[in-house]
Amino acid sequence: MLRPMPMKHVRLLALTEALPRASLALAETESFHPDERAPLESQLAALPGHAYRELYSQAHTRLDKIARLIAVDPPDGIGQVRVVDVDELRALDDWLGTLWGEASSYEEDFRRLDDAERLVKEQQAALQNFADLDIDLGMLRTKTRFLDIYIGLVPRENLRQLDGAVGLANHILHVYTQRGDNAHVVIVGPTGAKENTLGAVLAAAGFQSLPIPEGLDREPAELQRDLDAQRKTIAEQRQTLRETLDDWAAPYRTRLVEARHTLMLAEPLVTLDPSLRSAGHLAHLAGWVPARAVDQLRQRLSETLDGAFDLRVRNPLPEERHLVPTVPVKSRLLAPFAMLVNQYGIPAYGEVDPTPLFALTFLLMFGSMFGDVGQGAVIAMAAWWLRGKLKGFWPFGVMAGLSSIGFGVLYGSVFGYEHLLPALWMSPLSDPLLMLSIALGWGVVFLAVACLLAIYNRLVVSNWTGALFGHHGIVNLIFYLALIGGSWQLGHGENLGLLPSVLIVLALGALAVYSWRQQQAPVGEKILVVFIETLETIIGYVSNTLSFLRVAAFSLNHVALSIAVFTLADMMGAFGHVLTVILGNIFVLVLEGGIVMIQVMRLQYYEGFSRYFSGDGHAFAPIRFGRGPS
Amino acid sequence: MRHVADQAYLNTLVSAMSTRLFDATLIAGLSQRSLSSLSDAFGLAALLDEQPSNAARSRAIEQSIVNVLLTELRILIRPMNAEEQGLVLDWGRKYGLYNLKTLIRGKLYDLDPNEIRANLFDLPSDIHDSDQALLRAENVLELLRQLEAGPHRQIARQAREAYEQQRDPFALEAAVDQRYYVGLVRRIMAFSDHQLVSLRRLLGAELDRVTLLWLLRFRFSYQLSPSETYYWLVPSMRLLTRERLLRLVNLETFEQVLQALPPPLDALLAESKSIADVQQRIGRYTLTEMRWVLARSQSGVARALAYLMLRETDLMLLFAAVQGRLLGFPDETIQVALDLIEPTCAHPPRRLSASATAMRAT
Repeated sequence: MLRPMPMKHVRLLALTEALPRASLALAETESFHPDERAPLESQLAALPGHAYRELYSQAHTRLDKIARLIAVDPPDGIGQVRVVDVDELRALDDWLGTLWGEASSYEEDFRRLDDAERLVKEQQAALQNFADLDIDLGMLRTKTRFLDIYIGLVPRENLRQLDGAVGLANHILHVYTQRGDNAHVVIVGPTGAKENTLGAVLAAAGFQSLPIPEGLDREPAELQRDLDAQRKTIAEQRQTLRETLDDWAAPYRTRLVEARHTLMLAEPLVTLDPSLRSAGHLAHLAGWVPARAVDQLRQRLSETLDGAFDLRVRNPLPEERHLVPTVPVKSRLLAPFAMLVNQYGIPAYGEVDPTPLFALTFLLMFGSMFGDVGQGAVIAMAAWWLRGKLKGFWPFGVMAGLSSIGFGVLYGSVFGYEHLLPALWMSPLSDPLLMLSIALGWGVVFLAVACLLAIYNRLVVSNWTGALFGHHGIVNLIFYLALIGGSWQLGHGENLGLLPSVLIVLALGALAVYSWRQQQAPVGEKILVVFIETLETIIGYVSNTLSFLRVAAFSLNHVALSIAVFTLADMMGAFGHVLTVILGNIFVLVLEGGIVMIQVMRLQYYEGFSRYFSGDGHAFAPIRFGRGPS
Repeated sequence: MRHVADQAYLNTLVSAMSTRLFDATLIAGLSQRSLSSLSDAFGLAALLDEQPSNAARSRAIEQSIVNVLLTELRILIRPMNAEEQGLVLDWGRKYGLYNLKTLIRGKLYDLDPNEIRANLFDLPSDIHDSDQALLRAENVLELLRQLEAGPHRQIARQAREAYEQQRDPFALEAAVDQRYYVGLVRRIMAFSDHQLVSLRRLLGAELDRVTLLWLLRFRFSYQLSPSETYYWLVPSMRLLTRERLLRLVNLETFEQVLQALPPPLDALLAESKSIADVQQRIGRYTLTEMRWVLARSQSGVARALAYLMLRETDLMLLFAAVQGRLLGFPDETIQVALDLIEPTCAHPPRRLSASATAMRAT
């Protein structure tokens, strides 16, 4: 379960004309992850899928743009699988292009209506301002013999520069209000030659003239009614336009759904495009396939291509290891834990997949740090209740809650009450030293397993030196276990012991020699680095082990917080008591639950993953229908 | 003292990278070197050999120059705080704006998408959002609708007017450039005093140069009115301030403008005969200012920016020399081109005829 799924490298040679069929077969098997490296044969240099991909991308974009205006239902599944050749794709693209050419004019009409509505709104705002002015606004509507007047909107960011520019044309600019990104301005100046130059400046500044309505001497309310009527007219025009658009689109809807289906069928070949190479009629395609799926793939290709292909299968080469994708965990229960593992990185091929181990240790640590039957039940039920929103993550909440319940039974704790349920084991606070000792022991086991996994991961890739001398390698593990053994004896009043002492000295000596030989630096610098690295090894292992004391500390903390809540509750009356217990439990659930979660993740990522997990792999992403090209 | 400690790593990084800048002898000899010599000295052999045509070679080298610059930019911003990173990234975003201009021009002149794509720089996402959606726009109006829905909505409005009125992208490109420099000025003004002095000197010199050249071109080559000329300029926070520009744009002749310039620009540019002459002289002055900031400034971000600007100029010189050789120009012509390379490769907006060849001007 910890080992990755074995993968094979496959190389397919087929006729170039048969590529669309081959791509459909590969997509149906859902087991082919393309390898984008160019083949070694320099003759295989052409890119046979490139034109197809371009056509597909254009057609897809056009369909998406049309779908923004007209709702296009998705097709009901992939349905009948058939080959979409380049001619069909080109014809579809041309048709979509023509259709978008027509649809685009509707979009432009909608934009014009939006602009018109925005202008009316600005006019309403402007009139609101004019209402306070004691001048004949009718005069602003027309040019006078001596005055040149502009009223309108300017983007605020252009205002300062425009102010200087209109000044050069002997005009003045007055801002009478500002709304959003725009300023409402009045520009006034003498009529004359310079007014002609102002037009270009205003256009450059994005000036938008605000027409002053007729009959400004009428009641303001009447004017507002006129503008409201204009907005209503625009809304009606929009509705009419929408209906016209729907009528126009009605005959095309079925064909648009078919177009989407056609594009879905074209997707596999498009996805393969970066991996495809050809020379004349011969096409080359390479990829990674799970070993157990190779026979099925061969059979499917054989049926589709009538045997006109060559499929070569081999094991990944050691130097290709970083290119091999890792098949993700399929288990529904482990999937949420895999998501958390993937936050750190995807296991490299050959590397131990830490997901099952992560799930187990996470649940153990979370439960032991937050052991309470009642609160665990709340967590589990909340995750179940919110499963619609949490999607695939809800089992994580349920399992964390169940773990909390399990440890709650061991601790005899229900919503902080320690007398409702007899403890199957004991309350953490009844023997804190034992709890701390167990946490320390757990830390030693955790770190030793992490070192063993690190050693295994290096041995798998034939990194012998790394396995022996590298960080958390065999020598490190010997040192650590010797250190723990010696400390155990010291803890029991004995001396460090000969064997642990010898092992510690030898291990540190070996690490120092290895470090010395690895460095290319002056002697002084080498001494300094070796000294610091040795010190870091000792301090690192000691502090990392002590870091696991938090597992016990939080289980104690949980009880202590509950005691604090009950102490407060006991100071209240009956109602206050119940309220304090409820609020206290919510406080503990949210705050302490969150902190415990963070602490467990920290232990996993820092003390575990950083030791043995590179996380620099990439996920297996086979071509399949409906995924979309990369 | 704390400031010095904060900047120690960045300053060391800039000093280490500064050794990559071309020395005067190397620059002086660029126009005399053969293509194979340039190729060997700067590791361009693979780039030149892989491409099928001179145009493709030229494009590959230009793209490679952008890659080198942006890679160095990303190395330099690592030790910077968010404010400093923002400024340097904004400076690098001009390449994204070149793409935007190329796209708008291409759509305005209804060029083939493949031709437009061939003229776009391939840029990382932190410098510039993908142009794919804009590239797939099928006509100008659709492109403008997409622009209006994004961060360039104000520019898009001007573009619409440019399209509807005269199909001339001048106003649009001028707006793009103006907003770029205004954005940089805003960024700089947010810095505290110890950084501000150096940044003001560096970017002020650059803005003085850009603004003066724009002023001369707009006013006397494109014959724009004083008010329109002024509108498109970006006042500098050093010599060519808002008040000075208001005075300068109102002058009627090229010579009057040069005489009215503040010191030291007046002495530096006295008796210049043409805009190209001014371009050379003020270009040299700006380079001197950049070198001063790189060598003497205490501000890490100002030094980093000065390094990038100088590095860009060096690489543009190299590009011009290689391109000259690819096109088979004589040494003298290449030298003239090298003399006209500006400290940064910011192309000024220009009025163009509606021909497809206009694409190349970007």
